[in-house]
Amino acid sequence: MMFRPKIIGFICNWSLPTEVDIASTSRIYGYPKIRIVRVMCVGRIDPVIVLETFARGADGVLVIGCHPPDCHYIEGNLQAERKIKMLKKLISRTGLEPERLRLDWAYASEIERFPKIVDDFRNQVTALGPSPLAGEEPDKNILAEIMAAKAVAGDSRLRTLVGREKQMIEEGNVYNEKVEQEEFDEVMDESIDAEYVRSRIRLLVKDNPMSVEGLAKHLSLDPKKVLRHVVVLRQRGLVALDRIEGEDPLYIALEVV
Amino acid sequence: MAAASCAFKNKRRLPPCRAACPADVNVQGYIALLQQGKFKESVELIRKSMPFPAICGRVCFSPCQDACSRKNIDQPVGIRYLKQFAADIEREQGRIKPDPIPKTHSEKVVIVGAGPAGLSAAYELAKLGYPVTVFERMPEPGGMMRYGIPDYRLQKYVVTNEIAYIQDLGVEIKTGVEFGKDVQLDTLRNEGYKAIFIANGAQLSRKLRIPGEDLEGVFHAIEFLRHISLRKTVDVGEKVAVIGGGNSAIDAACTSLRLGAKEVTILYRRSRNEMPALPHEIEAAKEEGIKFNFLVAPTQIIGEEGRVKIIECLKMELREPDASGRRRPVPIQGSEHTYEVDTVIPAIGQLPETSCLPSILLDERARAISVDPLTLETSIPGVFAGGDIVTGPASIIEAIGAGKRAAVSIDRYLNGQNLKTGREEEIEETTWVKDWEKITKKPERYTAPHIDIGRQKVSFEEADELLAKTKEVAMFEARRCLECGPCTECLGSDGLCEADKAVVDETLCTGCNVCAVVCPYGAIKKNERGIAQVDEDLCKGCGTCSASCPDRAITMQRSTVVQIVTNVVAALGRESV
Repeated sequence: MMFRPKIIGFICNWSLPTEVDIASTSRIYGYPKIRIVRVMCVGRIDPVIVLETFARGADGVLVIGCHPPDCHYIEGNLQAERKIKMLKKLISRTGLEPERLRLDWAYASEIERFPKIVDDFRNQVTALGPSPLAGEEPDKNILAEIMAAKAVAGDSRLRTLVGREKQMIEEGNVYNEKVEQEEFDEVMDESIDAEYVRSRIRLLVKDNPMSVEGLAKHLSLDPKKVLRHVVVLRQRGLVALDRIEGEDPLYIALEVV
Repeated sequence: MAAASCAFKNKRRLPPCRAACPADVNVQGYIALLQQGKFKESVELIRKSMPFPAICGRVCFSPCQDACSRKNIDQPVGIRYLKQFAADIEREQGRIKPDPIPKTHSEKVVIVGAGPAGLSAAYELAKLGYPVTVFERMPEPGGMMRYGIPDYRLQKYVVTNEIAYIQDLGVEIKTGVEFGKDVQLDTLRNEGYKAIFIANGAQLSRKLRIPGEDLEGVFHAIEFLRHISLRKTVDVGEKVAVIGGGNSAIDAACTSLRLGAKEVTILYRRSRNEMPALPHEIEAAKEEGIKFNFLVAPTQIIGEEGRVKIIECLKMELREPDASGRRRPVPIQGSEHTYEVDTVIPAIGQLPETSCLPSILLDERARAISVDPLTLETSIPGVFAGGDIVTGPASIIEAIGAGKRAAVSIDRYLNGQNLKTGREEEIEETTWVKDWEKITKKPERYTAPHIDIGRQKVSFEEADELLAKTKEVAMFEARRCLECGPCTECLGSDGLCEADKAVVDETLCTGCNVCAVVCPYGAIKKNERGIAQVDEDLCKGCGTCSASCPDRAITMQRSTVVQIVTNVVAALGRESV
């Protein structure tokens, strides 16, 4: 049987042509080309929601908002753009292809453009094949990676960075100090790297204690780097020493109250 | 430190139509409901902001329509027409009789003048549960809506109906009571009225101050129109000269025509471009055969046996703009010329009637009541004033706005609250379209539909047909709305469309301020404890704050993460065919 990707479309209320809405829900095309989840503004799309959607087995996620600079909520679409940019970087650290996520713009009046975007993205996802998380037996490793990414996306560090990006770059702080885009991107990349690894460590030691050596092997990373992350996690009170086995200290995740 | 007053100014971002409306009517909201054919809900939404949908639908000068963004594409949406349509379609089902609102307050409020300002204040206060009494000098309530606007523009039953709605809510209107004569400020206070709102309007005609103004056959427009509205007749003869360029001038001219005048001329000292009358009224008057004589000003009225015979005028020319921004007319020496007339109707403006008021309330020139522009409070605590008596002759919708503001002040005054806190507003127009250059223009000229029942003579059968047709026309017209603003909280649509609001979980908030940075409406501010607080009036429910909050302390009332994920799961589970 031909592969028919399951694509979730987060569409802003003002970008969704009525015809597409009706066609989607009443399946005029014979099958849903895209499964629409309508939101008032794409600014509402929390990165956590996108990762959860992938974890639930969606083959692709298409986010469509109004063409910038136009937006019914002034700049909700640009806020979404920053989140999706961060998300793509985050997903690229996991085993899932970041090409399964796309952000695009459309007006509700663009009855021709809208299906084009959908078809184009559909072809892209079809070429990628089914998501490793779809079907009866999702890839456990990739699922663990996505869950780690989801925890990062829900945590304050990256969210603060994304939330403040516009202010830092365009408006500056109270001393009128601005940050260059390249500089910001560097900080963002570093933060994503660090937080993603830490998140993975936390999830790995959630139920069974592990040593730094063991973690490094599992994550295919330099044990020294892993140790540094474990130290940060201990400082944050997220990981604690469980016991010492032989000469290796074993660490375990703490429940955050 | 920044000026303290600025810090408390509410910045509201509104679509242009609503930003332009002095009474803050949710225009985009009721149009959204009309699009869906929800006519009844549409009128109900208008009534949330003001009690006169049918009246404003007919005679409002509709600043909303002038501001409409659609003008950048073809023509503005026919907003006034849509309002009239919504109100008329409701009437089709018979008179709407609301249940009286229980009086939850004991403080009695008295309102002087049953015009648009007074009645709007009464309406708002009644909705808040106050016992309200309105005193009106004339035999019927309505003020200028009844006695200033002629029948063919605004049928009297429309005024009666909309006022009856206010009376049904429990507002008591006492007619034939003159303030300053039958009732006094002091006696009212002694009778237990805790607050008073003076809105007796601008009922006097401005005089020409030229010789012959007291001759028989000279009727000042306001008195003339009032006379006709009282169902009295006036013999205007065959030739009528109306002096002035405002709406009253047009009204007086068209009324004269209906009284049997053969030749009605409007004399105006400026040109067509400077006329303050509504353009469509000028057009309609022209179609009815009213003549316009521009750049002329009367110098004297000459009588014969005490009756008007001849009016002498000077030609004018326009010079540089004056304080009002209009070009100043200057007489041309030696250009005297005369017209033979039977009736002269000066319509050069109205003046507030201040003789009945205590002088302590008035401004230096005793022309109007001086009030705090924000709260409408006068120099006497508990006494408020608004409408034409404060502003000089203005419009119905501005009077409604004043009435609403007075009602808020009176409510605060009676509850011992500060009258000013949080009321200063800065209104900014917002449209989702940021660059009109990029938008495709529509070449064809589009004329917004309009109903003109008064001027068209139609049978009842025809009227029914007309109405059925207008339903389609109205829904089409409503769909021309570009929906400049976000969700308008019309509460009319099912599902996601219902107004959403951000909610802060105070136990999770760390006061990082990211929400305040990302909120496009400035609806989130930190309170004195450093916790984010959402202003529900400003929040438009986009959800950006919730999606950005680093501590995930903000959630949406309806569109929660759980709800969206549930929708995702449902969408994924949908069987592929």
